Amino acid sequence: MKQTPLHDYHVKHGKLAEFAGYEMPLWYTSILEEHLAVRNKAGIFDVSHMGRVALDGPDAPKLVELLVPTSASSQAPGKSFYTLLLNQKGGIIDDLIVMRTELGYLLVINAANKSKDLAHIQANSEGYDVNINDITDSTTMIAVQGPEATQALQPLASIELSQIKRYTHVNAMVGDSRATITRTGYTGEDGFEVILLDTGLQDGSVATAVWADLSTRAKPSGLGARDSLRVEAGLPLYGSDIDDTTNPFEAELSWVVTKGKTGYIGGESLASFSNAPLSRVRRGIVLDEKIPRHGFAVTDSQNEVIGTVTSGSFSPILKKGIALAYVEPAHSGIGEAVDVMVRDSPAHGAITKPPFYDEKFFGWKRLKQ
Amino acid sequence: MEANHGVPEGLYYTKEHEWARIGPGSVSVGITEYAAKTLNDVVYLSLPSVGQDVEQLGTFGTVESIKAVSELYAPLSGKVTKVNSELSNHPELVNKSPYQDGWIIEITPSNLANEKGRLLDSKQYTDFLASPDH
Repeated sequence: MKQTPLHDYHVKHGKLAEFAGYEMPLWYTSILEEHLAVRNKAGIFDVSHMGRVALDGPDAPKLVELLVPTSASSQAPGKSFYTLLLNQKGGIIDDLIVMRTELGYLLVINAANKSKDLAHIQANSEGYDVNINDITDSTTMIAVQGPEATQALQPLASIELSQIKRYTHVNAMVGDSRATITRTGYTGEDGFEVILLDTGLQDGSVATAVWADLSTRAKPSGLGARDSLRVEAGLPLYGSDIDDTTNPFEAELSWVVTKGKTGYIGGESLASFSNAPLSRVRRGIVLDEKIPRHGFAVTDSQNEVIGTVTSGSFSPILKKGIALAYVEPAHSGIGEAVDVMVRDSPAHGAITKPPFYDEKFFGWKRLKQ
Repeated sequence: MEANHGVPEGLYYTKEHEWARIGPGSVSVGITEYAAKTLNDVVYLSLPSVGQDVEQLGTFGTVESIKAVSELYAPLSGKVTKVNSELSNHPELVNKSPYQDGWIIEITPSNLANEKGRLLDSKQYTDFLASPDH
């Protein structure tokens, strides 16, 4: 099994499990405590398992335009944006963050999709003057998330963090390493994802020192809380909520598709079904009781199956079971009553549009105290 | 992460990590500290009704953490006489006090003499936890 540069810490303090070929922490003390720390204060996550791929060279802009449905050239250097890699049929190969840097682009991709994505990028780069550089193993990536993320990270950073706006990034020193700091995340909260450029698998001592210092101000959190936080925020997980058979419209991700953009992989397919009626659409479901899980059927009042749960969890904020699900458009209205079949018995719930929490009090848009 | 899974003496155990406290005429049932720690935070339990019959090593409900669902197995056959109603509002009692306040059901055993021998005592359960096959 692969390890991250922070593996020694995880072995000593965490409950470990295999994820995407990596031995990763599921939790350190408790998923519930870690979840609430991120919603109310700050938490840190080792996300070094995620793939980091740098694209540079004269044709890097042209290649990125070919790969994603979002207009990449209209993003100024310093912008970070969420987008998708699509196949020719318009299905989703991966979802990712792209950072436009001074030299080119930095792609942050899902750990489980790393080799598939690299093969896809390589296959489409034929004839382009571009360098594709997988920097995953030579770097470390730490997410600092929560309303107090700025206070947690600031003492280690060489620049004023307030100058980094949401979905932008800067280069700065973090601890004893050069770093790219992007104001993004996968929890719904304000926060940063820090790529430490000078410390990786070869020598993780600088990364370990950064993590240890952060852990005095932010709670180390594992993949369990990372998952419950992203479900509560309504963010899709590749392999559960989206895959190569999902199109961006039914996944409610059409906002990444730049209107009028053509000439990218999957673009013709997207154009052909952008006006077609959807057969299913991604929604949230809140249950009155019980906890929905991946694969459970969604039914209407006549017990007809109208959808499927793709992610299920317990929401520590609502103290209720919550689901991301695909349902038939006719049953997708907000507030519509539905049932989720929980081990042969129906659990009553209602359709919502995530995030599941009240955005006045939680998440990065929350009213400042 | 080494944890001290203290196994109380005088109780009987299943290999599925339930415990049974055998009293005069009734048996209380819960899950062991090891099971509670492995599940992590218990957030929901699905439990039988009073009066329902349960069978030794048959399932009588589920216990759920944020991430996982586990079946609950009855240590002994019998009739459910009590259900710990505190757990619907405070499922965390299973983690905080697995052997006392976190008890789950009480049953009147129907075949105690024959079935008791199939359970582990505290020594056997401790050995079972130390073995690689749990």
